[in-house]
Amino acid sequence: MAGAAYGHLNLEESPSWGSRSVDCFEKLEQIGEGTYGQVYMARELKTGEIVALKKIRMDNEKEGFPITAIREIKILKKLQHENVIKLKEIVTSPGPEVDEHGKSGDISYITFFALAEIRSYSTVSHMDYIFLFESTGGHKYKGSIYMVFEYMDHDLTGLSDRPGLRFTIPQIKCYMKQLLTGLHYCHVNQVLHRDIKGSNLLIDNEGNLKLADFGLARSYSSDHKGNLTNRVITLWYRPPELLLGTTKYGPSVDMWSVGCIFAELLHGKPILTGKNEPEQLNKIFELCGSPDEVNWPGVSRIPWYNKFKPSRQMKRRVREVFRHFDRNALELLEKMLTLDPSQRISAKDALDAEYFWADPLPCDPKSLPKYESSHEFQTKKKRQQRQNEETAKRQKVQHPQQHTRLPPLQQSGQAQAQSQHWAGGHNHPMGNTGQAPLATGAPSHHQYGKHHGPSGGPNRYPPGGNPNPGAGGYYPDWSAGQGGVGFSSGPYPPQARAPSSSGPRGSSAGYGVGPPNYSQNVQYGGSSGAGGRGPNVAGNRNQQYNWQQQ
Amino acid sequence: MATDFWTSTHYKQLLDQEEVDVVHNLDKERGITLEDFKLIKLHMTNYIARLAQNVKVRQRVVATAVTYMRRAYTRRSMTEYDPRLVAPTCLYLASKAEESTVQARLLVFYIKKLHSDDKYRYEIKDILEMEMKLLEALNYYLVVFHPYRALSQLLQDAGMGDATQMTWGLINDSYKTDLILMYPPHTIALACIYVASMLKDKDNTAWFEQLRVDMNMVEKVATEILDFYDNHKTITDEKVNAAMQKLSTRT
Repeated sequence: MAGAAYGHLNLEESPSWGSRSVDCFEKLEQIGEGTYGQVYMARELKTGEIVALKKIRMDNEKEGFPITAIREIKILKKLQHENVIKLKEIVTSPGPEVDEHGKSGDISYITFFALAEIRSYSTVSHMDYIFLFESTGGHKYKGSIYMVFEYMDHDLTGLSDRPGLRFTIPQIKCYMKQLLTGLHYCHVNQVLHRDIKGSNLLIDNEGNLKLADFGLARSYSSDHKGNLTNRVITLWYRPPELLLGTTKYGPSVDMWSVGCIFAELLHGKPILTGKNEPEQLNKIFELCGSPDEVNWPGVSRIPWYNKFKPSRQMKRRVREVFRHFDRNALELLEKMLTLDPSQRISAKDALDAEYFWADPLPCDPKSLPKYESSHEFQTKKKRQQRQNEETAKRQKVQHPQQHTRLPPLQQSGQAQAQSQHWAGGHNHPMGNTGQAPLATGAPSHHQYGKHHGPSGGPNRYPPGGNPNPGAGGYYPDWSAGQGGVGFSSGPYPPQARAPSSSGPRGSSAGYGVGPPNYSQNVQYGGSSGAGGRGPNVAGNRNQQYNWQQQ
Repeated sequence: MATDFWTSTHYKQLLDQEEVDVVHNLDKERGITLEDFKLIKLHMTNYIARLAQNVKVRQRVVATAVTYMRRAYTRRSMTEYDPRLVAPTCLYLASKAEESTVQARLLVFYIKKLHSDDKYRYEIKDILEMEMKLLEALNYYLVVFHPYRALSQLLQDAGMGDATQMTWGLINDSYKTDLILMYPPHTIALACIYVASMLKDKDNTAWFEQLRVDMNMVEKVATEILDFYDNHKTITDEKVNAAMQKLSTRT
């Protein structure tokens, strides 16, 4: 086959058939690192429109175009909904390209050694080119493929991890409603997303939320007889039936993930943060009670039930642990975090829940504040640029996240203001806001300042250094807003949060120590291989891609 | 993939006969006539089906692969896209799109087993490279709806449960034509039921009437299916070989 012919294919074809070249776009900045490869923010040269380019990584593909990419393309081409990310087109680049760092962005198919010669391949004879191609690994495709998506400013994790940003209750309702609407649309169209988590929920500055990353999604039908893999969904958001090894499942798997996100939004941090699968199950059972034939008929026939069933009876504690949530929220959460998938609430029914129709109502997306672009990847990169190479490297491994999230505000309309206050309280550069970071640990000027100190109430933590011992809880605004119910009086789980060091929150000292549950290095540590949440955590995603079946 | 056909790209891409029956200029230069063009596509349909039998995939995968092949040749020439490579590549891609993955290695093994002719002998790397070109030729539209889906329900409803085998076979044969590019799948299914009713001497007029479908279209498709069977008798190996001879020799 003529190796060089590919790039010429489009030239004589009408533009409506065959894809355009990636050269129609100018790459502006890398905004993410996904399973497939890099994600770039780019500008379409002709129209000036800003888009996201997601590169389909072709390395390690002995079987050509990755089936995961085929699934994603197939699914995205058929899903057209305001709460589902829009795939605008697919573009190709005919050969290896060189990115802004001068390295090949496409080592995927060709070795570094051969690259220099390929780069000037116009001067290399045709035969040499073919020889080079074949000698560098044979079966690999020589170009790159990019999916072109509409550009979204944020992802939910990036946004909620922003220092000082607090979502309001109407805002949370607004996001949840959009999440459920989008998911309902997927489920009606018989698509399971299978990787619902904050970093896959993109948000634009109009307040719209869209489901993204359908790389693990697949179509299903209720009469589907085949088995599905249970190695899907990021660990912290994975439902008990998958952890117990079921290979027959449906839309309810996504609803568990939604429940986890819902609780996380209200709670201010991820709620079930296992390091590995047995630990994840255990955390689920500690919260939701142990499964049995009464609360989950048929559970004992699930493959790994006997292997993983808890040794002791545990009772359901959702209401106890999250008693600071309002009644309607708690009621909905209970239905989402139902162990038995057949009893778990559907997206459609969840949208009808009292929660969305009771005061305060979900706000209009357009009324939400506009935030400066926050993709986890970008913030991290900016941070790294200010440090030397060595530090940056260590930081990446140890604690890519340096701050705790805040629980929601009880009243609407404060998010912006609080954000301004908070921005100064961190040594965590926040893009281009231009605010000089104040000295850390100096929360002098507002009511939420106590977050900087050791977290937690007086009974569970070393007393020293808590500037507000009388506040009665970690989240005093909840206490205030909800009739004085302090969170700390109901510790969850028993060995809950790691006592953070009394130093500033941004320092590295506080993150390597403490019991595993809820300590920062467990929550965000990519190296644990367990529950990475961001798109950057390769280990966990790779694990998900070990397809057992289909 | 299950979803609403009427909102699908498959529906939006349905073509007219005139659009399907276009021989690419490059192919005309090689003396390929419209008849040759159809013969080669028929021959490749059979090739895909035989390969599929060997690698053991469902009929649905075959149907999708054939649809890809026929779609591709509405936009690409056989001169540039050798059918003997495109056919197995379509099967390879369809096996992924239909969640019944076949390894390229296995496909190449059976290609060699079925054909001693050098012109068919393509390697893994050829298939993987053609896969990319094919994806582009298809503009990454990979979802295909097939007439099989509604079949058993329609047959039950028509009281023709005993004709399942025959109708299924008729649908299989419909892929030897370009019907799938031109008509909605349920119309093809109904046309096959129509033909089966005729062959079984069963009067289904009342049933068809209450369906509120465009019966003219159903009858038109049924006629095309019957014409195909008539015409098929005249197809000889010599004709097919002569058409294949006009294809480019491999570079």
